[in-house]
Amino acid sequence: MLLLKLLQQLFKTLNSDGTPGQVAAGIALGAALGLTPLLNLHNLVILGVAVMVNVSLAGFALGWALFVPLGFALDPVFDRLGQALLIHTPALRPLWTSWYNSAVALTSFNNSVVLGSVIGWLVLALPIYVVFRIAVARYRVHVYERLKKTTFFKAVAASKLYNVYRLFQPPT
Amino acid sequence: MKIFRWKAIVPLVFLLALIVTGWVFYLDTLVKHSVESAGAAVVGARVDLEKASVRILHGTVRLTGLQVTDPDSPMRNLFEAGELVAAVSPGPLFQKKIVIDSLLVRGVRFGTPRRESGALANPSSESKWVAKQVSEWASQIRIPQFSLKGLGSQVVNIPAISVDSLRAASQARAILSSTDSLRGSWEARVTSLDPRPRIDSAQQMVERLKTADVKALGVAGTRDLIAKTRTTVDGLTGAINQMKALERTVSDGVTGLKSNVAALDDARQADYAYARGLVNLPSLDAPDISPALFGSMALERLKPILYWVEMAERYMPPGLDPRARTGPKRVRASGLTVDYPRAQTYPGFLLRFADLEFSLEGENGAAGAYRAQVAGLTTEPTLYGRPMQVVAQRTGGKVGPRTVRMFGQLDHSKTPLRDSVLMSLGGLTLPTVALPPLNARVALGDGSTDITLSRTGDHLAGRWYVRTSQATWEKTAGPSAATRGATDQAQAVVEDLLWRTISGMRDIEIEARMSGTLARPSVSVRSNVGSAVAEGLKKAVGEEVAKAERLVRAKVDSLVAAGRREVDERVAALQTGVQARITEQRAQLERTKAELEARLKELAPKLPGGLQVPGGVRLPG
Repeated sequence: MLLLKLLQQLFKTLNSDGTPGQVAAGIALGAALGLTPLLNLHNLVILGVAVMVNVSLAGFALGWALFVPLGFALDPVFDRLGQALLIHTPALRPLWTSWYNSAVALTSFNNSVVLGSVIGWLVLALPIYVVFRIAVARYRVHVYERLKKTTFFKAVAASKLYNVYRLFQPPT
Repeated sequence: MKIFRWKAIVPLVFLLALIVTGWVFYLDTLVKHSVESAGAAVVGARVDLEKASVRILHGTVRLTGLQVTDPDSPMRNLFEAGELVAAVSPGPLFQKKIVIDSLLVRGVRFGTPRRESGALANPSSESKWVAKQVSEWASQIRIPQFSLKGLGSQVVNIPAISVDSLRAASQARAILSSTDSLRGSWEARVTSLDPRPRIDSAQQMVERLKTADVKALGVAGTRDLIAKTRTTVDGLTGAINQMKALERTVSDGVTGLKSNVAALDDARQADYAYARGLVNLPSLDAPDISPALFGSMALERLKPILYWVEMAERYMPPGLDPRARTGPKRVRASGLTVDYPRAQTYPGFLLRFADLEFSLEGENGAAGAYRAQVAGLTTEPTLYGRPMQVVAQRTGGKVGPRTVRMFGQLDHSKTPLRDSVLMSLGGLTLPTVALPPLNARVALGDGSTDITLSRTGDHLAGRWYVRTSQATWEKTAGPSAATRGATDQAQAVVEDLLWRTISGMRDIEIEARMSGTLARPSVSVRSNVGSAVAEGLKKAVGEEVAKAERLVRAKVDSLVAAGRREVDERVAALQTGVQARITEQRAQLERTKAELEARLKELAPKLPGGLQVPGGVRLPG
């Protein structure tokens, strides 16, 4: 059911009214929530930006969902990157010391996974935006027309029954 | 296309308000979980909290039903507290720092039973590390064995002593390995510094200077020759300095090795005691018997103190260097969280003052109400700048007034760390101590105990002293006379004699002293029981034991002699080999340099005018 829901979201996003740029920007912002530990102050800021700036919110949700598994998988890399910056780069120590003794400490930047993943997301954000912008545009021109005729697409579309089923689903 | 969704401001503000409201409602649970997880990381066992109540506007945090498991006994609480009320400074919270201005703790009880085990499946790496350190420390202390089994029988199982179990032998092996490693390293350096080519080149220069004709060379040629000579002299000076540095290194290394060799004698003394225990031969000296009888008990009392001293060092380190700790527990990886203390800022955690009221249960003299104050408990003592202090005293009791004093001071504001703990408790019910070698146990009854511990840097000095005048003795089941073999009859006689000696003792004193460093600790135990047993044994079997002991010493000597000889030879060879070689090479360099300088001086007067060169030689300008 979860996979089906994700597929529905994917199709809905790719065919939404938003421009490919808006969808790609939404995905790039949503990727932050997937790549970095969720309960941190920077994610609240990113959520605020996603709501205030005219990006695709469906794309934002999709980016979040898509990048959660990648975030888990890359944790060891983020940890190493964070440690390299926090511990093994003496030149940055004055910066960390100044942040640690100010309100910036609320962001938990001094945790290796948080810092490493935020840096990782900042590095990946632009490539994610570019790749998804091209992909969404090409999808709409070339793939969608052919895809909507396939049995698979019809099956997923037909699974609106799933939403009806959810109305009767007991609360958990 | 519009860039901003201005209409989204209202929902966004609503969403933020929702998040803040949720956070405020969830704050109690958050604090509860934080206290439990942070406490468990520090203690190394479960910490349970019934309820936390945070009143942000008042700056107070109220914790109810705190239970802290004893890491050494998971079915018991180290202590539990009915209520803790903390007044928290709001400012530092905006830097994720906790500064508690005052903390009131009520209803503290010690050693209460737990309904379920408080052991952690995965204790924090910090507490595991400290527990390992303490265990390693304790394992280095060898408690001598005391047994009467070797008496009555003429069999002293000398072959039971294995050379591998002797400390002197293992230390000798370590010295040999260290000697070989140093020899390899120094020889490699000597080879790399090989001054031969430089000396040969300098000799050639000397020969050239001998035959040098200033007139034929002219001013430019002479200058060139002087410059080359000066370069050669500089090269020789550099080589001599390098050789001198190596000489110093080798000399220091050899001195270190010699001090290790000298320590072999102490190790051999320890091996005598160990071997005597292995062959069930009782010592006749009170200083050996007391540790054998009470050493394990003393060690068990000292281990927790050491554990907390180590924990205090771990969590209250001096200095302002960045310090890493394991990050928070979450679904994602925890990573490392690094703290960056800076002068004139708040520490990560500071408890300015705490007032505790607690009670000791029971009917003995120590039962009653107590009060304690703690000041300056912080994770960054250097920032706080003053030592942490703990004072406790009795405020009331069911039975008459007894002495209860406790004072502790941990000064981690600068290095070396200086800790001191002084505790004196009177009217306590002291434990019952089993003494299997004597087939007896002694209930120490009501008495007093003093604990002092001081630590300066790595050096520890501690004393645990127990005194009672109400001791009662009980004989435990040993083999009956009927079941004893003929050779055990003499042992039975000795046991009876000892029992008659000790069973009348009402006044008992036990004193354990800890000294040395964490790396090389030593514990000594003294007791009047040990002295009484020694006297009794000397009367009964002194001559026989002394004879057997000579055999044991001879056996230990024979096992370690070869190793000791080899150590002496190798260290001497290292000194005469490498050290002498370096000295000889340095001397050669110095001779060559002196010769070169002399030739240079001979050459100078042949020239008119003054060009200054090293060594006071002037050449025409």
